[in-house]
Amino acid sequence: MANITKKVSWSSRGDEAGAAWEGTPLLNGSERPSVSRQDSTSWKPKEIPHNEKLLSLKFESLDYDNIENQLFLEEERRMSFLGFRCLEISRWVVCGLIGVLTGLIACFIDIVVEKLAGIKYQVIKENIVQFTEAGGLSISLILWAVLNCAFVMLGAIMVACFEPIAGGSGIPQIKCYLNGVKIPRVVRLKTLVVKVFGVICSVVGGLAVGKEGPMIHSGAVVAAGVSQGRSTSLKRDFKIFEYFRRDTEKRDFVSAGAAAGVSAAFGAPVGGVLFALEEGASFWNQMLTWRIFFASMISTFTLNFFLSIYHHKPGELSNPGLINFGRFESETMAYNFYEIPLFIAMGALGGALGALFNVLNYWLTIFRIRYVHRPCLQVMEAMLVAAVTAAVSFIMIYFSNDCQPLGPDNSEEYPLQLFCADGEYNSMATAFFNTPERSVRSLFHNPAGTYNPLTLGLFTLTYFFLACWTYGLSVSAGVFIPSLLIGAAWGRLCGILLASIAQADSTWADPGKYALIGAAAQLGGIVRMTLSLTVILVEATGNVTYGLPIMLALMTAKIVGDYFQEGLYDIHIKLQSVPFLHSEAPATSHWLTAREVMSSPVTCFNKVEKVGTIVDVLSNTSTNHNGFPVVVQVSDNDEPAKLCGLILRSQLIVLLKHKVFVELAQSRLTQRKLQLKDFRDAYPRFPPIQSIHVSQDERECMMDLTEFMNPTPYTVPQDTSLPRVFKLFRALGLRHLVVVDDENRVVGLVTRKDLARYHLGKHGLEEMHLAQT
Amino acid sequence: MSPRNLGLFFVFSVLNVCRLVLSDVGNVIASDSAENLKQVSDPSPPGSAGANSPPVFKPAVDFAFPLSLLSSFPEDLEISEYCRELLAVFGQRYVAYANCLVPAARPVKVCQNCFSGFGSLKEIYTNISSDKVGPVNESCRDSLLHSDRLMLVYLLFSSVEDIWKKSACDQCVSDGYQSLNNGTLYFLDVLNETIACFEKYRQGNLTELCTNCKSFYKSLNDLYGQKEQNQSLCIDLEDAMNMTRKLWSKSFNCSFPREETVPVIAVSSFMLFLPIIFYLSSFLHSEQKKRKLIHPKRAKSSTSLMNIQDKQS
Repeated sequence: MANITKKVSWSSRGDEAGAAWEGTPLLNGSERPSVSRQDSTSWKPKEIPHNEKLLSLKFESLDYDNIENQLFLEEERRMSFLGFRCLEISRWVVCGLIGVLTGLIACFIDIVVEKLAGIKYQVIKENIVQFTEAGGLSISLILWAVLNCAFVMLGAIMVACFEPIAGGSGIPQIKCYLNGVKIPRVVRLKTLVVKVFGVICSVVGGLAVGKEGPMIHSGAVVAAGVSQGRSTSLKRDFKIFEYFRRDTEKRDFVSAGAAAGVSAAFGAPVGGVLFALEEGASFWNQMLTWRIFFASMISTFTLNFFLSIYHHKPGELSNPGLINFGRFESETMAYNFYEIPLFIAMGALGGALGALFNVLNYWLTIFRIRYVHRPCLQVMEAMLVAAVTAAVSFIMIYFSNDCQPLGPDNSEEYPLQLFCADGEYNSMATAFFNTPERSVRSLFHNPAGTYNPLTLGLFTLTYFFLACWTYGLSVSAGVFIPSLLIGAAWGRLCGILLASIAQADSTWADPGKYALIGAAAQLGGIVRMTLSLTVILVEATGNVTYGLPIMLALMTAKIVGDYFQEGLYDIHIKLQSVPFLHSEAPATSHWLTAREVMSSPVTCFNKVEKVGTIVDVLSNTSTNHNGFPVVVQVSDNDEPAKLCGLILRSQLIVLLKHKVFVELAQSRLTQRKLQLKDFRDAYPRFPPIQSIHVSQDERECMMDLTEFMNPTPYTVPQDTSLPRVFKLFRALGLRHLVVVDDENRVVGLVTRKDLARYHLGKHGLEEMHLAQT
Repeated sequence: MSPRNLGLFFVFSVLNVCRLVLSDVGNVIASDSAENLKQVSDPSPPGSAGANSPPVFKPAVDFAFPLSLLSSFPEDLEISEYCRELLAVFGQRYVAYANCLVPAARPVKVCQNCFSGFGSLKEIYTNISSDKVGPVNESCRDSLLHSDRLMLVYLLFSSVEDIWKKSACDQCVSDGYQSLNNGTLYFLDVLNETIACFEKYRQGNLTELCTNCKSFYKSLNDLYGQKEQNQSLCIDLEDAMNMTRKLWSKSFNCSFPREETVPVIAVSSFMLFLPIIFYLSSFLHSEQKKRKLIHPKRAKSSTSLMNIQDKQS
């Protein structure tokens, strides 16, 4: 059975090329629209296994472009100068709120994780101490595994059963959102709650994960929620910030929220701003940047303030970030000119290892999407990973012979003695028997000689596979910390080896410094972020002089890694079939014109359209169009009509709901005129067409769209090249682009999915398929 | 002179006053130079603490005279006989303390052997640094401690005090540097018992030693852990414990052996085996998720890859 399904090729491009369109000649479709219509009816839905070369129908664009209809112009006319000033001020207030709330959430996560993990490790430690003497260490192992499983099960159930979108780090989703793709449910309150508690469970559950990535998602959700002044989930409307209830404003705030999340996670306000810049770079102005920076700063310092209270040093604001790399200030941490090539070499190694990580995770993720898609299976998988993590860690600790004397300052949080001599602790246990953040810090800062090379090598190897296996489980968890940890481990190993090669009296090969560069290289090799990651790491170490080596390591890592495989986030975006627009159109695509890219024929509405027609078009499940060009018929024949505007599905639904029909307006003169507010109230969850009841009589009524449509949609002529269209989409955040002929007649419509399907593959330009997911 | 140093002096002065008040009640400190002290510890009313004033420097006066090794200064700039005496006593005690410290370096016994030496040294330093006025109506603090850049007396004492602080001897010595405190004495008792036990069985079979001395060692270890918890350890005890542990674990090899390898491996390999079963079964039994392809409306049928490639070539 399954053996047969296995034989289905990863991509079924080959057999389809001949089948469907073999009879269709290479003709301009605008001339023969009937042909393609026949095609689509005769087309039988074909099923293929999930792969990366698909675009899902469930994703839509954000309406970033402003709709300048008559309602909008009226409202703008009514608004006073003071009104605009108030709007500007309230934007700042919203950003401040975003910062404060994001900081508070980060603080909450940090404290709860610390407390719960502390209890867990204390219990296990006592148990191990007891059984080392009395015998029966396998019981400790089982206890450890069961505790891990219990926490992870809780987190996995929350994610798998209640809000699957909250799984993973959330950075791919936020990247898509900032790119202009509306990911369903990604910025809801429920997602935030599941995310926060999910990440607590998975970190406490001892998985190879970090809590930093989810902070970015959390910040984005906070931003999307705060800026709306209401919660649809809680059914509370505070009647504030009503002006911001549209995609344009919301998206700007979400970028501020993502920045605030980064800055809370790493204590890197500038890095946060640059992250938002790098990921959502197409829609920027100085004021927005400045506001985002404000939100970032507020977020970092809110976190600092509350953590300082928690650590009983109220008011001390200089210990930022969830992950604190500690200070790199000692003499040996300085680097020399001749070490630069070493850093570059480490960058290359990081890139190669990162690419390996990504390839493995890519295959694993495909397997998961295809076979492990039921919630109960996902929960089981997560629990198994938790158990295996515990088992592997335990074996490593059990068989490790690396004993180190306890330090005078007791820097180890939970030192395990096990079979070491009294007064010594198991060095492997500091790496495994700890939250990942602490392990990273001890790799950076423990003095030379704390770890022996064998321990580090084994640790790197096991943690690499554990982290690779863990990412993509349906638990909410980030990949930043595991990557840093892997990198820090092999970086420190490099440092130790270099020190053993170098002369005995030289102190330049400090293992902590190499651990830092290794961590940067590994992280860069996996996520392939450039500018923002450099700044984040520099800010997290608090030492600007490390800018150059970190930059070089990240650069090399990206170059080497890109040679083999894309970045982890890009892989996951692709595997989720998101129509993601990269910053540039694929190279060698200038020969493609709008005529070939566009969808055609286009479903249009007349300026005054029959209600029945509109309802029928909207309820047609097979098309699911979102924007409709509004046309005026010039002549009676079948010719395409002239374009005079564009109207969105959401607008039509609001119009139908309020029954804005020409006949009714004539009969009921007192009827309130529809305002922009009515559209905003329905935002962002417009009711589906099925929930709107239209009686048989009403179907015969007419609707005048003149007032509501966008009278000046962007259009391009048919011969516009793909890169040109692409630039318009990227720069203006378009959702629909109407293709017209020389007489302004609608020929086709270009949407995001039409553009995103082209990508540069191994054999030149390739095309992705649309699919229902 | 930094504010920190000023603060330090202030603390010393206050300490001194307190101590003097105590000694006034009759708690006279035994010392080898009681005569000197009698002069010094002329009790002053506690109210004089309020008269503490920051040390005054007169560098202008110092530099008013050409420096020469041969010339002796006029009477009013020389230090008084009283201060000279104090300085001499300080020197004696300093030498005594240093002599005590060096032999106690290994194995560390700096607290046990030299606490009284430090006590007397500290006492004389406190006297020097107090702003109490001596018989000739001048304070030795200014003239001895900081009338020059080097401030040798201060430097010497602070280095000794550093050693004292680093070794955490305060934790083991009773207040007033009279004796070791009870906890330390008890610990040393237990330690001696353990060492005695080690000596007793050392020649014979080591496993016998492990079993027979285990109770001693364990009670010592527990006691140490306890003292570690409430931070009442000084370097002497830490070092002694360290040596004992080394003897126990390394020389006698009495650590816990790695015995239960088989059950641990069994349990963990069972756990490692589970995912393999899980993935195999989900691969075989779970139906593969299929995606329905959707044919987009296109103006022309250039959607297939073949056509694109045709056009390119």
